[in-house]
Amino acid sequence: MISEQKYWNPVLETLPHEKIRKLQLEKFKRIFSWAHERSKFHRGLYEKAGIKPGDIRSFDDIRRIPTVEKSMMRGIQRKDPFPYGDALCVPLEEVSEFRQTSGTTGQPVYQADTWQDWEWWAESWAFILWAQGYRPKDRVFLPFGYNVFVAFWAGHYATEKIGAEIVPGGVLDTQARILKIQELQCTAMMATPTYVLGMADTAKNKMGIDPRSLAIRKITCAGEPGASIPTTKKRMEEAWGAKVYDHAGATEIGAWCFECEAQSGGLHVNEAFFLVEIQDTETGEYIEEPGRRGKMIITALDRQAQPCVRFDSKDIIEWSPEPCPCGRSFRLIKGGVLGRADDITKVKGVLLAPSAIEEVVRGLDGLADEFEVIVDKEGDIDRITLKIEILKGREGERKKIEAQLKDQLRLKTNLGYNLEFHDYGTLPRYDVKAKRFKDLRGKH
Amino acid sequence: MAKKADLKEIDIKIQSMKKTAEELKQMGEDFPALYRNISRVLASIKMLELNISDVAGI
Repeated sequence: MISEQKYWNPVLETLPHEKIRKLQLEKFKRIFSWAHERSKFHRGLYEKAGIKPGDIRSFDDIRRIPTVEKSMMRGIQRKDPFPYGDALCVPLEEVSEFRQTSGTTGQPVYQADTWQDWEWWAESWAFILWAQGYRPKDRVFLPFGYNVFVAFWAGHYATEKIGAEIVPGGVLDTQARILKIQELQCTAMMATPTYVLGMADTAKNKMGIDPRSLAIRKITCAGEPGASIPTTKKRMEEAWGAKVYDHAGATEIGAWCFECEAQSGGLHVNEAFFLVEIQDTETGEYIEEPGRRGKMIITALDRQAQPCVRFDSKDIIEWSPEPCPCGRSFRLIKGGVLGRADDITKVKGVLLAPSAIEEVVRGLDGLADEFEVIVDKEGDIDRITLKIEILKGREGERKKIEAQLKDQLRLKTNLGYNLEFHDYGTLPRYDVKAKRFKDLRGKH
Repeated sequence: MAKKADLKEIDIKIQSMKKTAEELKQMGEDFPALYRNISRVLASIKMLELNISDVAGI
């Protein structure tokens, strides 16, 4: 029976590591030649570095190839072939899908995909869904505003591909979505961690529905690191009575890694479809061994219209020392995406990752899910303000919670904070990606 | 689970299907319903190649 099979692709997912590396090298040569031959942008980049397709024989050769940054893509777009510019490798009439980045770090980047690329997106997601226990019998609800952002579009198509049933929750508001999940007894859903918690809050506090009473038993998260932050994952799993799984992907890259049912504390890189390299941000050295963090350089080995070849994602990751008990040979990155090289900022001379604050806030009983961090200056000195909400009925415990919060923050981030307590429900709520970290130091 | 020996056999059938689809595509240049549908079939065949053919030779 198909549904009883553990792996979406039992060959690729259990391929010995040396064979995966061989496959990656062959596929890299193919996509590099494709980009060199068909894209003026890529050819120019490689010619400047003096590298031709025939020069690539090893992973060391790959490391000599220049990386591509998002800012470079911004620079070539909004020109012919409009609007994608010179990175496009196919005639415009072969482009069937438009998506764009969210523009969180600047002007959005446009992304072209052919129908084959779109099949590839769905295929990458099929690996994810199957590994997380989705099967043809599942009825999957998508509480997602279908639009120019790629987010869960590929999850939708992959749900169809694996043979499950999709319920598109498009323009419904949160309450209507919860009622639809209840009405149809949906068994799984996909959303950002922020929205998963927001839906549970709405169900409980505005509708008197316990999310645990619904049939949702699997939730796939994307867009934020929350599902790999243990305290946030625990809050989501407890609120819904469901298993919560993480995955990471990006518009310019694809869906490159995923958590499996074993929930072993890491995400599998789909090494048959992607080549992930980790580079030390200080020395530029490439990291092969587990336990050392660096930024990810990634290649999508089969994406053709607008290739992703050695893209400097700025995601901070590290290889896990342990294999996963699920039996997949795709390597794990420990703890998922740990942050972004451009998110980790120095405050009072100390490196601060916003995810560390999330871990503390979500780990404290008595605090609500929402919070906001503002970094600004008081004179010449950095100041961090953390805004939090106390749950209804717990206001009397404020002093105790404040003391615990201060201790935990000092322990986890080595910094002192100006704490602001707000009434429950007064901090901003987000439907997609939350903007909880605001650095205002450059704005004074 | 497909064994290593089976992969080559599966790949032969995938390549045969691809050849047929490519021939149909050539025949459909003035026949939009044939041309567009077979283009999508070829995209699906490519997924079979990524899943099976690419690894069959490794």
